[in-house]
Amino acid sequence: MSYIEVNNLRKTFTVRKKREKGKFFREMEIIEALQGISFVVEKGELVGYIGPNGAGKSTTVKILSGILTPESGEAKVGGRIPWKERKEYVKHIGVVFGQRSQLWWDVPIVDSYSLLKDIYRIPEKDYKDRMDELVEALQLEKLLRTPLRLLSLGQRMRAELCGSLLHRPELLFLDEPTIGLDAVSKLALRDFLKWENKEHGTTIMLTTHDMEDIAELCSRVMVLGHGQKLFDGNLKDLLEKYDTVRTVTVKYNTAEPKLELTEGAQIIKKDGEIRITYTPSEIPTANMLELLQRAGNINEMTLESENIDHLIAAMYKEMDL
Amino acid sequence: MNTLHLYIRSMGMLLKSQLQYTSSFIMQTLAQLVMEGGEMLAVILVIDRFENLKHWTGGNLFFFFGLMSVSFYITEFFGRGVTGNFPSMVRSGQLDTLLLRPRGILTQVLCSGMDPRRISCIAVGVVALVMGSSMSDVSWSVLKVLALAESVCMSCMLILGLFMIEDILCIHSVKSVELVNALTYGGRSACQYPIDIYPRPLKILFSVVAPFALTMHVPAGYILGKPLYGWPVWTVFVTPLSGAVVFVIMVMLFNRGIKFYRSTGN
Repeated sequence: MSYIEVNNLRKTFTVRKKREKGKFFREMEIIEALQGISFVVEKGELVGYIGPNGAGKSTTVKILSGILTPESGEAKVGGRIPWKERKEYVKHIGVVFGQRSQLWWDVPIVDSYSLLKDIYRIPEKDYKDRMDELVEALQLEKLLRTPLRLLSLGQRMRAELCGSLLHRPELLFLDEPTIGLDAVSKLALRDFLKWENKEHGTTIMLTTHDMEDIAELCSRVMVLGHGQKLFDGNLKDLLEKYDTVRTVTVKYNTAEPKLELTEGAQIIKKDGEIRITYTPSEIPTANMLELLQRAGNINEMTLESENIDHLIAAMYKEMDL
Repeated sequence: MNTLHLYIRSMGMLLKSQLQYTSSFIMQTLAQLVMEGGEMLAVILVIDRFENLKHWTGGNLFFFFGLMSVSFYITEFFGRGVTGNFPSMVRSGQLDTLLLRPRGILTQVLCSGMDPRRISCIAVGVVALVMGSSMSDVSWSVLKVLALAESVCMSCMLILGLFMIEDILCIHSVKSVELVNALTYGGRSACQYPIDIYPRPLKILFSVVAPFALTMHVPAGYILGKPLYGWPVWTVFVTPLSGAVVFVIMVMLFNRGIKFYRSTGN
């Protein structure tokens, strides 16, 4: 049996629209947030969960963390049904919402932790060991006496992570953990997540809009759109499927070369540079290089695949999201 | 036991938070004092003008006023999570955070708010109670002290229960419902005077729907030596239990309501 088993999960929301003129009752609109999602996750996996805004990512996380009850379908995490026996279930999971704090705003964060210790009924010794470990891994030593409100966003995210891992959850949900973080904080956060996953075998499921999070962390990625699962596999396969466009930028020694381009390639000349965009499936890269060579003396050349965000945008577009 | 320990620790934490803003805290406490002092002044003016209200003397009225103030503000002091913070917790999605912890929701809501500024209001209430009892020449006995203690406890539960109506409604519609204030704040204003001065509909409202009369006025009448409606002594200890009944019903409805919680987006 897998650690997380989700089968045909559905969730709808009824939204009351603004009352239109001349109508007595407000119209109700039914939004299908999840339309039958199924997947399994093994223990110790690090799974990325992506999709445009409103795709149902947060809804899935909320159902799997026991906050929401689905309309139909099954979900089991470690043999437990999240929305039943809530109190028993949440002892085993940790959740970090990127935009919502779980710690107390005005008191030093160490006080928050100590209260969490009481809430989760963590034994004293266990708490101390775990704190030492997390404080070191997250470099919180100097921040412990600082109230949460005085921390920077990056520091706050580290503090939140520590708070949500104190009770040693088997499963950690992260809802957009890197939102608004600077490069250094992002890197530190990713390193920490890798460490936690490796050291303790914590299963991690994260939703994000930052493709680098996925590329860096996740062995597996699930794409969600319009409440449906559109892709499930590793990132490389996903990229290969949609990675269609390459750009070559060339500078020549001699004056402007004469290129005999085959059909399917686009060419833009600008500031003494030539940019050629082509699709490898139409023109193999080897052919393209040969063509460039023939045209003259190459001084500089860069070959790049399209920016990962563009790829995802193209994918969303193709999937009609 | 563990829950009580958690509550006390949470209260300590909240107090610490509040005291981060010392000057604001002091100013607001003083503002509350002025406000509640003003309320008491209104009673003094009434007494000054009429001396008696039906068969209740001025001292009696102070006692009634004090009983209401003490009960109401003790509730707000310790139960701010229920009486004030909850609707905004629903709207901001902070309730999600509570649902993620292995504790009862109501426990956590209670642990999430206190309002120590109310100490000045409670003080005004105590002063009114002392003034009222000495002006009414109350001869205190063990039974009377017990009646007063039970009255305050049950009234607190009643007030907490009434505020929970608002919380229950707002779980369903994700918006605060002001109507409930008619029962809570309205009840406070109306029932700081004894119930028998009011016309029949209000008597029914505050004895059956929001039984302030049962939790406060019946015991107070006994303590002041003027039993309400001439009811026998045993009623003094039985009727206030209606406060606990209201509270228990609301707790049940609240826990039912939480199942319908639908969270807010982020």
